[in-house]
Amino acid sequence: MKTVIKGLLVGVLLATTAISAIAQDKVVLTMWHNHPEWKDRVEAILNKYEEMNPNIDIQLEEISGTNYNTRLNTALTAGEAPDLFGLNPGPVTADAAAAGYTVDLTDRLDISGLTDSAKAAITLDGKIYSAPILGSYTVGLYYQRKIFEENGLTPPTNQTEFMALCDTLREKGITPMIAPAQDGIIPSFLYAMMVASVVKAEGFDEIRAGTRKFTDPDVLKAAYFLKDSYSCFQEGALATPYVEGKALFALGRGAMLEGGSADYAGFLETNPDVDVGVVPFPAVDGGTPATVTGMEAPYNVNAKSEHIDEAVAFLQWMMTAEPAQMVVDTITLTTTKGIVPSDNEVMKEMIEAGRSNDVRVFYEMPETGAVFGVVQQNAAALFLGDITPEEFAQIVQDAVKPSSSM
Amino acid sequence: MTQNSPPRTTSVLAPQLGRKERPERRATSEIMRKYGHLLFVLPGLVFFVAVMVGPTLFALVISLTNWTGRGISFEFIGLQNFQDALSYWPLYRAAINNVILFVAMLIFQHTVGLFIAVQLNEKPRFMEFYRAVLFMPVIISLVSTGFIWTLMLSSNIGFINPVLRDLGLGFLAKNWLSDPATALPTVIAVTAWNSVGWAIVIYLSGLQNVPEELKQAAHIDGANGWQTFWRVVFPQLSPSFTALTVLTFIGTFKTFDLVYVLTGPLGSPNYRTDVVGTLIYRTAFGGSGNYTDDISMSFAIALALVVFAFMTLIAWALIKILRRREIQS
Repeated sequence: MKTVIKGLLVGVLLATTAISAIAQDKVVLTMWHNHPEWKDRVEAILNKYEEMNPNIDIQLEEISGTNYNTRLNTALTAGEAPDLFGLNPGPVTADAAAAGYTVDLTDRLDISGLTDSAKAAITLDGKIYSAPILGSYTVGLYYQRKIFEENGLTPPTNQTEFMALCDTLREKGITPMIAPAQDGIIPSFLYAMMVASVVKAEGFDEIRAGTRKFTDPDVLKAAYFLKDSYSCFQEGALATPYVEGKALFALGRGAMLEGGSADYAGFLETNPDVDVGVVPFPAVDGGTPATVTGMEAPYNVNAKSEHIDEAVAFLQWMMTAEPAQMVVDTITLTTTKGIVPSDNEVMKEMIEAGRSNDVRVFYEMPETGAVFGVVQQNAAALFLGDITPEEFAQIVQDAVKPSSSM
Repeated sequence: MTQNSPPRTTSVLAPQLGRKERPERRATSEIMRKYGHLLFVLPGLVFFVAVMVGPTLFALVISLTNWTGRGISFEFIGLQNFQDALSYWPLYRAAINNVILFVAMLIFQHTVGLFIAVQLNEKPRFMEFYRAVLFMPVIISLVSTGFIWTLMLSSNIGFINPVLRDLGLGFLAKNWLSDPATALPTVIAVTAWNSVGWAIVIYLSGLQNVPEELKQAAHIDGANGWQTFWRVVFPQLSPSFTALTVLTFIGTFKTFDLVYVLTGPLGSPNYRTDVVGTLIYRTAFGGSGNYTDDISMSFAIALALVVFAFMTLIAWALIKILRRREIQS
């Protein structure tokens, strides 16, 4: 009996030693991501990389969007951030680079395969600190095909049509628009598209340069449109969290939703039978329907990582054709040149929508970096009538830091 | 120890027993006699200094800088953050909401809480069951409480409004957390639901300590039930009143999690439910996820220290005033 026990103990010891030896051979890369609803899809891509690189183990941790930056900021300050983490391009990435949190990837990463807009978005004063491995997003207006077809409706193209459509849908007992406005993110995107419909890409550059203002009479119309659009929102919009709103739309509880290409994967997670179309957001009367586009938090390498080379190699692979195809087919738009959705009709529609009048999101630019947050914080006051559209526009304008180099 | 066992001697008693001791040993014994009891306090004191005093002093140092919370670059700016905090109107807006919450909770705890405690003190059937049910919300985490109530109150997926409509009370159905008129009262109601158990337990323990003889004497003297309660029993509850008032003050001014879960980081709608806890959090970590670039950890800490000083002062004053009242009664 004693011999058997001794034999078992020796066996366990040897097995443990062997497992730990194998584990020691593997390079573990930790990675934080801020879209829990994409977990399975992102892991499918990571698994592909791990199959090709058996010595690499990428441990993905999903953190919900509202908590992501809080945790990441704290972890970076404490020196306990993961090897790979996503940060918004522009001012936020610049801050992190200046603080020494991230690796300068300028000479380490080949970004020649990226689209020009993606290259521009991740380049800061000629340097590169991040890679857009999970692509970009374009925001437009989603609509429920079934509701529109059954009621003989067509997606609106301007403010007048949009407001009339809201009335029609309300009369039919249908919630016109789902807008989870608790944290102000959706109103901020709405305002961005309304402004874009007036100023277009050139005008946005003028806003950044300070030669055009949110308080200009034509741009002011966007603030009025935003205020009016509140009447189209679902009951309790100001207390509806982001995730609840997206789920409500996916379940067909409203006819329209302002949303991005990145949201579609979440709709499918909630309701695999979701049937939606997407168009540019209706224009302020006299303007052009618009979309806005931003990068899906490009990935940085932690300067304190013990596996910088492995992390960079992973980022490089993520910008190649195979993973880029998986991104565009299962998650959102890709920033890798020449990759188009194979059978994702919604992504194709989103790409089409973005061709009309697409403007980059406010928060990626140093001059308007604070604008997005200021709109978030003041949209509810506008909706409730606590401030006028003029006062709202002035508050937004005060957040612009014009650049003379524009 | 048995009765026959010899008495134990210690170094402190040794001189009295006539043993010769070296002077330095005697001095050590004297120190131990005078201060030896402090050794028992030492572990707790070390822990308190490590997790309370140390971080507070560290926070005080940070509040004297302009550190944003990102990176390691900062400059000392003296008392600028404190100066800014005192003229920062969102702090007053949030503090007013805390005051409203405190006053409402104070009234609720001292009326409803006391009433239920009195009923339970009559030892009704199933008293243990009632007490457990009423105390249960206290042991549920505030985050869970917030999520449960958010789901119940939701205008879109909640069941409170549909139930009201089914009962023919549709006129009472509201957008509870998004209507400026009902948002703060709803937060107060949820807070009250969550914390009434404390009031009941504290008052119940006070009621159970009121001597039965006092009530019987009042009855013999011709006092009716109300007079007996108001003139005899209630004054005996002064310690409970003091404890509950101070705890309610501290609890309502440090509230954060419940409000954050119920109405989000911006204290929706339009800051109608913003409290100092959510304001400080928003200032330190940003409003809602990815897009805020105006965070300031040093200013948030200055706000927290200002609130801490204010709470200390008020809590001290409350204890002072209420203790005096206890002695008088």
